[in-house]
Amino acid sequence: MIAEAAVSKSAARSLLGRWEARLKVPALLLLVFSFAFVRDLLLLPVLVLIAAIIYALSGLPFSHLLIRARLPGFFLIAMAIILPFWSGQTIIWQLGPLALRQEGLLGLLLIVVKFFTILTVVIALFGTTSLPQLTLALRTIGIPWLITDLLLFTYRYLYQLASDLRQMRTAARLRGFTGTSVSALKPLAFIAGTMLVRSQEQSERVFQAMTLRGYGNSSLPLPSFRPLPVDFLLLAVAISLSAMLVLLQFIL
Amino acid sequence: MHIPDGILTASAAIGGYAATGGLTWFSLRRIKKQYGDPRSGIPRAALLTAAFFAASLIHIPIPPISVHLVLSGLMGVMLGWFSIPAILVGLLLQAVMFQHGGLTTLGINACLMGIPAMLAYYIFRLRFLFGREKPLTNGLLAFIASFLAVALGAFMAALLLIFATPAYLDAAAERQAIIALSLAHLPVAIVEGLFTLMVVLFLLKVKPSLLDGDQL
Repeated sequence: MIAEAAVSKSAARSLLGRWEARLKVPALLLLVFSFAFVRDLLLLPVLVLIAAIIYALSGLPFSHLLIRARLPGFFLIAMAIILPFWSGQTIIWQLGPLALRQEGLLGLLLIVVKFFTILTVVIALFGTTSLPQLTLALRTIGIPWLITDLLLFTYRYLYQLASDLRQMRTAARLRGFTGTSVSALKPLAFIAGTMLVRSQEQSERVFQAMTLRGYGNSSLPLPSFRPLPVDFLLLAVAISLSAMLVLLQFIL
Repeated sequence: MHIPDGILTASAAIGGYAATGGLTWFSLRRIKKQYGDPRSGIPRAALLTAAFFAASLIHIPIPPISVHLVLSGLMGVMLGWFSIPAILVGLLLQAVMFQHGGLTTLGINACLMGIPAMLAYYIFRLRFLFGREKPLTNGLLAFIASFLAVALGAFMAALLLIFATPAYLDAAAERQAIIALSLAHLPVAIVEGLFTLMVVLFLLKVKPSLLDGDQL
């Protein structure tokens, strides 16, 4: 999501950044679901190629992808430990009780490639879409206003509360709290409890202020929708690619 | 307990979206019935969602490692039916901002947190039967609700990881993997239960109205 100003400028100017979000979000969502459909190893190079082209069209630097993809894939690591040794019958290498199995290795390959290609498309999508654009796109595809309002409000308060929490923890550290054993549970619970009470009290003031400014009186109409021919062309390409992947999966 | 993209089969991912869609539709109906104008609950639910999001960044030391909190139990206890849209929004933001969890698995992950949150909500509501103001009742129910919420979430995640991935394990290995994955979450469930118990006792002293779940 365009939060970092440095990334947003080049990304917003890219082809993906200029693509009407109300078409881009459903189109790329459809595409990642078609990636999830793939079970045949022969299709994996196609996924890599599509993901690489989409990322190149996003105008995001490669380093952005590396930083985002580095975030812990706990399940991926667990899968890497379990699958090659426990899944399948064909043993390709054995050391004592440990047997490396072909089916497990291939299953792991499928999972890893799908994980990284979907992640790449998702990073490209949200790296070129601002939160208001995303919210509008979600409204257009029929997500109820209660969810989209909740999304906008939550995003608004997130940074403030994370900073409050940091402040409280710094204050606790200054008073000698180290938090390195299980006994840290009680002070941490009190910190969380204090944050919840403060949030509740603040939300009451926010709601009253918002009601005074007219929140809840009427729903504003959605901004006009004027997509360009290129927006529809990109949508058609995304739908065709998704259909091709699903079809090829059934044929192979 | 957030399952990332690419691990589950497409049918599981789509099934997760369908289940979450149904659960969300039902929760929105309940919210509308409860509030008349549900907008009144949104700023409060959003602030609490953000607070839960920030609190889940707290790492609890269980030497030699530290774990981050799931908080599905506490969310259910405090937000009631609002916890379903709140969890959905929290998971979407986590997937979008930190690539934590996944977009195709958003439906599954919302079920893994949302269903246990509602279980916790109904367990904690037993306080109305056994003594709403008694610290012992509140503490005990908070522990049980939160412990079971984490345990149920971990068990559901283990089932999905074993049965809804493209790789196949034999029946004995499947059973062992489910037991191992569920047992690995036992210390987390206990810590989360104790954490929720302490937060609930704190709130009972400081602001008991926050514990009424549907009194946002």
